Amino acid sequence: MRQLAARLFDPLLDGLADVGRTGWFFLGMLIALPRGLTYPRELFRQIWFVGAKSLIIIMISGLFVGMVLSLQLYYTLSIFGGTSALGTVIALSLYRELGPVVTALLFAGRAGTAITAEVGLMRATDQLSAMEMMAVDPMAFVASPRFLAGLIAMPLLVAVFNLMGLFGGHLVGVSWLGIDNGTFWSNMTSNVSVWKDVVNGEWKALAFGALVSLIAVYQGYSAPPTSEGVANATTRTVVSSSIAILALDFVLTAFLM
Amino acid sequence: MNPRRSYAAGTGLFILLGFAALAYLATQTTSLVNFQSGPTYDVTAEFTNIGGLKDRAPVKLAGVRIGTVEAVKLDQKSMDAKVTMAISDRYNEIPADSYAKIMTSGLLGDQFISISPGGSPRNLKNGSMLENTQSALQLEDLIGKFLTGSGGSRTKSSGTGSGTP
Amino acid sequence: MPESTTNRSDPAVPMVQVRSLTTVLGGKVIFDSLDLEIARGSISAIMGPSGTGKTTLLKHITGQLHGDSGTVLVDGQDVARLGREDLFRLRERVGYLFQNSALLSDYDVFENVAFPLRAHTKLPEDLIRNIVLMKLQAVGLRGASRLMPSELSGGMARRVALARAIVFDPMLILYDEPFVGLDPIALNQVLKLIRTLNRELGITSVLVAHEFAAIREVADVVHLIAGGKRVASGTPSELARGDSPWTAQFFGGALEGPVPFQYPAPPLADDFGFEEQRA
Repeated sequence: MRQLAARLFDPLLDGLADVGRTGWFFLGMLIALPRGLTYPRELFRQIWFVGAKSLIIIMISGLFVGMVLSLQLYYTLSIFGGTSALGTVIALSLYRELGPVVTALLFAGRAGTAITAEVGLMRATDQLSAMEMMAVDPMAFVASPRFLAGLIAMPLLVAVFNLMGLFGGHLVGVSWLGIDNGTFWSNMTSNVSVWKDVVNGEWKALAFGALVSLIAVYQGYSAPPTSEGVANATTRTVVSSSIAILALDFVLTAFLM
Repeated sequence: MNPRRSYAAGTGLFILLGFAALAYLATQTTSLVNFQSGPTYDVTAEFTNIGGLKDRAPVKLAGVRIGTVEAVKLDQKSMDAKVTMAISDRYNEIPADSYAKIMTSGLLGDQFISISPGGSPRNLKNGSMLENTQSALQLEDLIGKFLTGSGGSRTKSSGTGSGTP
Repeated sequence: MPESTTNRSDPAVPMVQVRSLTTVLGGKVIFDSLDLEIARGSISAIMGPSGTGKTTLLKHITGQLHGDSGTVLVDGQDVARLGREDLFRLRERVGYLFQNSALLSDYDVFENVAFPLRAHTKLPEDLIRNIVLMKLQAVGLRGASRLMPSELSGGMARRVALARAIVFDPMLILYDEPFVGLDPIALNQVLKLIRTLNRELGITSVLVAHEFAAIREVADVVHLIAGGKRVASGTPSELARGDSPWTAQFFGGALEGPVPFQYPAPPLADDFGFEEQRA
């Protein structure tokens, strides 16, 4: 009986402890953040790695998400005879929900895992200790720039994703399904708000960017210095990030929208 | 090329692209489009029921957008809705006795104000009020009318959303 | 007062003084009242069976780990009592050569060696370039300055790491297993570098290694650590004579001695169930 309880609660406690340790790590990184800003070159390099290198996957995914969205919503809207609202519904779905969430999930898979593997490998090959020995704080030089890069890259990636999604949706809706181009745009432009939809979506993007890069850096930083340890940490980055993104998304939607 | 500089250039390009996408989304796909770029003049109209008309809704004449709804308020004396519209200065020869009507684009589409020109030699100017208005068509009323067998023709003309009464 | 910072680099004070250091890590006693002194300008080797905490001792010297009791003085300063800033300032004067070189994999050889300079100085680019190329020349790798760490052999990587460790002309270099995995040619190159850096620049050197043949070539003093204590000290040839049971086992290669062949285990009978059969 006691064993059963232990088996049920141990993973829960482990997860809780991981959340707590990530929180402490976050505090430590916040303290190191001002010093991290003294390495702007490193920040730029990381924006390149996590942002620019995620661009292709984000653009292709955005295009297909927009196309699927257009097909599905056209079908649903045609039941109510409201296909003129297709542009509006596509834009709102993308800006408010799908853009930030799908981009964040892809970001966790593409950039998050890369960060964890890289930082984990730096730990395993003593590069982090070497920095400490050279009197350079790895929190400021390694952790902070990667965190900030995620924070900066995510909103930009979300904007690109949304744009591609809109393009894909327009392609299917207007060019293939024959919705009037003017209706598509005018309906959208009169119902989509900058502040309520575009900007709130970008707030989400910012929060998700911070969350994913925090988890990724922490997992890499705390990975056991073995190849197995780094591999497990990489997996945990994807799992934890995905859960955290979806949970935070609910909270943010409830508060922002 | 210096590898360090090519990183920086690629990163800069990515940031520019991201901001360009964001700027496009914010200005070209939202109600920001509806902001008249030029100067406008205000015209008011009172409706007994505005239905789902919102701020920033378009004001159209013969299907052409000539302005936007700026404010919707309740006039407590007449218990009517008072709608203020900002009409672009370019359209300054609209007869003063024109007819304002709240219409719906499509069955579930958004609502807008359609102006039908009257015949007066005087034109609308800043502060003018449109006397002739027709309220939003309520789906519930429509169904009621349909059930009692009256108002069929009206339903037809509004349902198409063509802008001509 | 040896602890005060005013008499830094006092030639009378030994470079490293370890005084009755006791460290328990994860319930295991690593050091049990360890005493050790590293003389200024010497090449000292620290040897001992695997798992006796030789690398851990180096981490105490750099302040990455602190003992539970006792003190570690480096250049007269108590490492455990230094604040973050002072500790970092001390580390700038201590070079550390990691077992796996620990070159930053994102940067080429030049940037790796330039890394401490860029982090701690605002030197103009051409001066950085001169210093880096000079240090690379010292380890014979000036021509490899634009290679990435992944393109280097183990011996080359270690020489680059050495160039990086001496970029600030440190007073002390700690070598963690500098000879592991080197072919005889690379081994000789590293030996020559250790000797040159010590003789010509007067850098105090501490080596942690197992290769007695190599240590014999360079070390002035060898400290043998076992069971958390220093069990023998002396010149390499003194220790090789094997006067104590420790040195006899360690340098004579006997299977049994103070260090048992068998890891502590329950009696043989328990594990194989002899008693049940007998009963």
